Amino acid sequence: MLIKINNLHVSVNETEIIKGLNLTIGEGEVHAIMGPNGSGKSTLAQTLAGHPNYDVTAGTVEFAGQNLLDLAADERARAGIFLGFQYPVEISGVSNIYMLKAALNARRKAAGKPEIDAVEFMRFVKEKAALMKLDQKFLTRGVNEGFSGGEKKRNEIFQMAVLEPKFAILDETDSGLDIDALKVVANGVNQQRDDKCSVLLITHYQRLLDYIQPDFVHVLANGQIIRSGDKDLALELEANGYDEILAAAKA
Amino acid sequence: MTKLSNNPTELNELKALWQAREQSNSAWLNQLQKHAFDIFSSSGFPTTRMEDWKYTDTRNIATNYPQWLKTQPQTIAHTPALLDIDNSIHLAFIDGHYSPEYSGTKQLPPGIIAGNLGDLADCYPGLLQEKLGKLANNNDSGFVAINTAFACDGAALLLPDNQDLEQPIYLSFFSSTPEITIQPRLLINLGVNSRATVLEHYSSNVAAITNAVTEINCGKGSELTWYKLQDEHIDAWHTAVQYAHLDQDATIKTTQIDIGAGLARNELRLTLAGRGAHAEAKGLLMADAQRHVDSRITVEHTAPETSSRERYRSILADCARGVFNGRILVQAEAQKTAAELTNKNLLLNSGAEINTKPELEIYADDVKCAHGSTTGQLDETSMFYLISRGLNIDEARNILIRAFAGELLTDISIEALRNRVQSALEELEHGHVK
Ligand SMILES: Nc1ncnc2c1ncn2[C@@H]1O[C@H](COP(=O)(O)OP(=O)(O)OP(=O)(O)O)[C@@H](O)[C@H]1O
Ligand SMILES: [Mg+2]
Repeated sequence: MLIKINNLHVSVNETEIIKGLNLTIGEGEVHAIMGPNGSGKSTLAQTLAGHPNYDVTAGTVEFAGQNLLDLAADERARAGIFLGFQYPVEISGVSNIYMLKAALNARRKAAGKPEIDAVEFMRFVKEKAALMKLDQKFLTRGVNEGFSGGEKKRNEIFQMAVLEPKFAILDETDSGLDIDALKVVANGVNQQRDDKCSVLLITHYQRLLDYIQPDFVHVLANGQIIRSGDKDLALELEANGYDEILAAAKA
Repeated sequence: MTKLSNNPTELNELKALWQAREQSNSAWLNQLQKHAFDIFSSSGFPTTRMEDWKYTDTRNIATNYPQWLKTQPQTIAHTPALLDIDNSIHLAFIDGHYSPEYSGTKQLPPGIIAGNLGDLADCYPGLLQEKLGKLANNNDSGFVAINTAFACDGAALLLPDNQDLEQPIYLSFFSSTPEITIQPRLLINLGVNSRATVLEHYSSNVAAITNAVTEINCGKGSELTWYKLQDEHIDAWHTAVQYAHLDQDATIKTTQIDIGAGLARNELRLTLAGRGAHAEAKGLLMADAQRHVDSRITVEHTAPETSSRERYRSILADCARGVFNGRILVQAEAQKTAAELTNKNLLLNSGAEINTKPELEIYADDVKCAHGSTTGQLDETSMFYLISRGLNIDEARNILIRAFAGELLTDISIEALRNRVQSALEELEHGHVK
């Protein structure tokens, strides 16, 4: 077991969004989370990454044997959590590569290791960029600056590939991707998975799950997981929508 | 009639000091000084009742100016904090006086005149008489007038035509005697098609007053890269005005950097007077603690097909106060002028404050002008993005602050200057904790 979320309650601006959520993810597992707009998927993602605006009012989260909620956002990242944002921010004046180097070195520093060798770093980054079919010109551009919607998403997965997390939370990384980009992104995620990275995949579309086969699919509605199943659940949702499941959960 | 801000005692003291000053051998210079003192006698120092000085109260400077002008320089106890610039031609001024000991002018190519203004006024009276005091307007403020009234110590740099000077000219003004007033006067003249890089550097390790005036002439087709670093002690007060006049097809690239002083006021006045003249003016103002930094730039386009681009940024922390005033003035004859002014301000704390006012004043009809100003804090979304990648709060802040300084930092061509600015940015980042 890598991460165990128990009875999680989260409020934003005094409004409760996550209302008693339970979820356990094993090492190397891929869990897909689907659910209606506004059901709390991104809230869950941001909370796990440690965004200060999200207040955990009750519950526990255990991550690799530690109390995750005790860690600040940057400590969580260095402990191996990665968040692929639904809406990646543009940061002009800070190049992608500069940020990644700082991020890698922050990890090394925390682990008591010296800074990464510049040549070694470039070789490593270029290899990952090639894997993500990301043109090298994106390395030196400002973080997401002027990137198209799809390029931003691809850049998120590229960063994940460089940072090699233990647990990746990917918030709608598939939205806005064309078919080819979807395959590239899926390929990137699958490689991480082979390296024992666990993945929480937030998506609205069953299509992504053809490329990244999930071990489990969960439906999040109203701040709770109301149903879990295997990948067939996604097919069922695709065919019938959420109405039936929501009604069943109410009953 | 402007009401006098100096009280009569201050004025009388200044008058006595002025009369007792060491007179120049040149009658024209004495005349120039006298004329300026007359103007000062009726204007006095500026007050906050004047529109241009509304936000910057110089009463403390006015009160201490005469007293501190009497202070005799002491023997310098520590090596002055000068920049180590490779291969430069260096004119050093300690406590306002030219110091051959700290200067280095061995590399001076023939044909170039560089040295202490007062000395050169005796050696080359004709050359200096032609230029000195021609651009500076004593009516602009009491600070300009009083500087001219005492004009003697300072740097003169005269480049002949077609001189391409590779080595940067480093003009350093360092004050180390407590409670001293220095009044540097600078004259820079580039002949036709000449090229040069100049750095004016003001620093101090004591409470002191600096009141500097610079006059710059850029001849036809010439190109001047000019830097000013104001890195004074926190108990020091600094005022400076630069006048630059550009002939046809001349280019000036200015970068003004404010790091220090308790109160600093800088005024840059560019006149694009020849067809095709071009100016790039940049400013990076940094202040923390209770510092006050006031920066204004006026670009006057008086000839057709001139262009200018002004980019000023300020980063203010703690309870620092910034003032920015940028003014582009396009005269009727300056058709096909292009001008663009941007001012961006980053406030790192809720206690920091800036008053900013970009202005366009256009009398020609065929022009392209734009101006804009933004003020904000570090973007929280960007902060969280970087933190979520594993950077701690300080690292994330540093990166975003540096990104804000952007090309104003990276474009600095003098390495030692760039390093100093970089370390000042770091001090600003660390000096204050959330
Ligand atoms: N910072 C905030 N302030 C106020 N309300 C918020 C904030 N963040 C989220 N919410 C609210 O919380 C609810 C859940 O939002 P969340 O972004 O988690 O939904 P989601 O499941 O990711 O939706 P989508 O599928 O549209 O991305 C929404 O009603 C949203 O308006
Ligand atoms: Mg969402």
